[in-house]
Amino acid sequence: MRDLCKAAVDAALGAGATYADARAVVRRSQAVSTKNGRVENVTDLETEGIGVRVLVGGAWGFSCDRRLDADGARDAALRACAFALAAAGSREKALAPAPASSGTYRTPVEKDPFEVSLSEKVDLCVRAEEALRHPDVKVTEAFVRAQREHKVLVTSDGAEIEQELVETGGGIDALAASDGGFQMRSYPSAHGGSSAQGGWEYVENLGLEREAPRVAEQAAALLRADVCPPGMTTVVIDAEQMELQVHESVGHPIELDRVYGSEASYAGTSFLKAGDLGSLRYGSDKMNITADSTTPGGLGTFGFDDEGVPARREPIVVEGVLRNFLTSRETAETLGAGQGGSMRADGWNRMPLIRMTNLHLEPGEGSFDDLLADVDDGIYLETNKSWSIDDKRLNFQFGTQIAWEIKNGKLGRMLRDATYTGITPEFWGSLDAVAGPEAWHMQGLTNCGKGQPGQGAHVSHGSSPCRFRGVQVGVKA
Amino acid sequence: MSDDAREIAARALKAVDGGDAEAHVLCERSGLARFASSEVHQPTLIENCVVTLRVIRDGKIGTSSTNRLDDDGLKLLAQRAAEAADSGVAEEGFPGLPGSMPLPEVEGFDEAVAAIGPEDQARLARAAIDASTTTGQFGFFTSGVTELAIVSSAGVEAHQSMTDATTLVVSADDGASGYATQTSWSSDGVDPAAVGREAAEKAARTRSAKTIEPAPYRAVLEPYAFADLINYFGYDAFGANGLLEERSYLAGRLGEKIMDEKVSIADDALDPRGLPKRFDFEGVPKQRVQLVENGVARGVVWDRTTAARAGDGHETTGHAPPPVYRQYGPLTFALTVDGGEVDSVEELCELVGDGIYVTRLHYLGIVDPREGVITGMTRDGTFRIRDGKIAEPLVNLRFTVSVPQMLEDVPGLGRERKLVNGSDFYGERYPIGTLVPAIATARFNITGVGSEPGL
Repeated sequence: MRDLCKAAVDAALGAGATYADARAVVRRSQAVSTKNGRVENVTDLETEGIGVRVLVGGAWGFSCDRRLDADGARDAALRACAFALAAAGSREKALAPAPASSGTYRTPVEKDPFEVSLSEKVDLCVRAEEALRHPDVKVTEAFVRAQREHKVLVTSDGAEIEQELVETGGGIDALAASDGGFQMRSYPSAHGGSSAQGGWEYVENLGLEREAPRVAEQAAALLRADVCPPGMTTVVIDAEQMELQVHESVGHPIELDRVYGSEASYAGTSFLKAGDLGSLRYGSDKMNITADSTTPGGLGTFGFDDEGVPARREPIVVEGVLRNFLTSRETAETLGAGQGGSMRADGWNRMPLIRMTNLHLEPGEGSFDDLLADVDDGIYLETNKSWSIDDKRLNFQFGTQIAWEIKNGKLGRMLRDATYTGITPEFWGSLDAVAGPEAWHMQGLTNCGKGQPGQGAHVSHGSSPCRFRGVQVGVKA
Repeated sequence: MSDDAREIAARALKAVDGGDAEAHVLCERSGLARFASSEVHQPTLIENCVVTLRVIRDGKIGTSSTNRLDDDGLKLLAQRAAEAADSGVAEEGFPGLPGSMPLPEVEGFDEAVAAIGPEDQARLARAAIDASTTTGQFGFFTSGVTELAIVSSAGVEAHQSMTDATTLVVSADDGASGYATQTSWSSDGVDPAAVGREAAEKAARTRSAKTIEPAPYRAVLEPYAFADLINYFGYDAFGANGLLEERSYLAGRLGEKIMDEKVSIADDALDPRGLPKRFDFEGVPKQRVQLVENGVARGVVWDRTTAARAGDGHETTGHAPPPVYRQYGPLTFALTVDGGEVDSVEELCELVGDGIYVTRLHYLGIVDPREGVITGMTRDGTFRIRDGKIAEPLVNLRFTVSVPQMLEDVPGLGRERKLVNGSDFYGERYPIGTLVPAIATARFNITGVGSEPGL
């Protein structure tokens, strides 16, 4: 693969490119899902190919070929150059300097998930699902996944990098229905469970069977719970929902390509401007956000990004003030700050884009109970159910699967159909407590979308439960 | 396209050693010239061919896919599919693979679109860009050829070549933005300059946007907005899975009047005005399915698996999903809403009198599938309607609506329908779209206000 990438880069330079990079990728993924005692899916998928990105006359071009051979590498390179020439504009692109990195990186794995048989994966799902059985639960689901991506990157400015990234994940869902009502509970997270980089040990440690009875009980109990009342109140939000809150209202706005309008036609732009760096108050002084592509187990962890920039940890928001954006080499050069390091592509047949790596809300202090203790009257919200946010990432509305009222510092009755809404900087400005490191945990999500043609990204977020004052809850149709 | 999907599918099937099997081959050759700030910045050419093999052994089903098309690649594919099948549990009531059925002839392929090459794609993107001399242009032009072949040990031999071309433009600067898009399988429907002009002209009308109080409003939705909303609703409401699992709006409501009698919705992949399909992902012929007729809930779409599970005489309607998305059940990829008797959006505004005008929606989320509640934002052209005319521009608005409630009182629907692209081009290319008119509604619930239009 290394030789093919070199050949592609050479072919591109020979065709007039001033810069070229080539990525050869082989990705294998397995997924097993069961539903109501039936095996819904047992899939074993593999895709491979080479993608070549070029700068010709100051314009980008990208092409790819499924053939991992000399013809495929050369043809992809020449097509990319021809497309760049045809699409050339008037503004020349420049890249921030990058060290000529060479190296390898492999996800540390205790138990290779592809050495675990599909039968064993099916058995785990079946057992977890059986533990979800409950008279009010009409649909039970369990699912596990594994992915291994082997990729080689060669750039014309000297990078030669080989990486193998391994992911595993899983989850369970219980759907309860009665008298026209319908409620759902999930573990460890909604919308596909949770994933991490690592071996099968991650899935085993999720404890899907262990958690299943609680998940089913709560789904059933929600059928009889009261609706979350509307109003402005104090909310305490669990770590998992906070992770999506970080993703949507911090992670996307700090992508510098969005700030510059590159995503205006699809994912949207950002309320942040380049000039906000170092001065914009994003939230209260309790808010500390870090981008970290070195976090063990994070889905955004790597040795090098898809431009060959080494992984690192950097502060994004410090005590409520914006300190960095997520950058590519091109946007960092335009900004005159940063050095790239956030570029990732969804496989061999997509261009790298700025994507979140692992973006964390740093822990504060105290326990979950301490958060509740300072609430006379409020709502505790747990596990995402729905999400929506505007194109500038300002106005958001989230729903959670379950909620409880908080009275005099203690959890009270269970509530269903809870939603909350806000405006990003105002909401983060109302953050008055973040629980400590003991309550901090990380989830990995696999459904982040961006780009045209669309690209999925896998990212992780860590957070502790948080408390916000004066939040609108209970939005109704 | 250099690869022959039928030949690849036949070779994949031949590689299977024992059991029933079905091979799907999806080949794509496409180009997408994406632009921002009136410059092409992400031009992407894709050539790929993915073969997916579904093997059934002793009632157990396994699926594997690859894009390695040589004999070794297909042999490995067959081994993995067989291992996957052997790892499963026999599915009680699995109806088996379908046999060969006569397939309808449909349109959906145009040599002129197939002939659009990278230089043309860049030129057509430039035409969309050059249509604005004021606001910046953001969007893309894309065209592609997709070939789908399905062969099976039960005798299915299905094949279709499809073309599609889409232009999408957001025309914007600080404080202004407009939107337009156009999709067609035919070169007759490819006019990027017109799309660019429509977006720029809309943007010019959005400066100095005002805010309004959250409340229910009467509203006119352009086809772009209505298509998004009906697609999200349909994802949960119009598939058999949601019905069988009692979690969709239509569960328990079939035969009931759920919408205004002016509203009729179908899934119709045979309509040449859409993006026509001959067969589903089991090789079963596509059927037109009436979902809502004159406001009455009539049915959902089925594949053979869900029809067998229902066990009450239901039959497939030709809506099996791709094998790797089997867990989602049958899906509506070709929703159509009947047009009405109103000649223009201006006349729809007259019917509304006082309300809001919505061009496009953004980032929809399903809040409550059982009640069809969806939230999202308006974007790229939201206006006040006063005295029956489009008036001042508005900031982006958050809405939270029950779609059936929104469609309970419909003052009118546009006579003309527009095909709205339904693909964001994730994964392999498979063109889908929604054919809808503009619509006036008596209730569109605004629950929050957002930022000004523009960058």
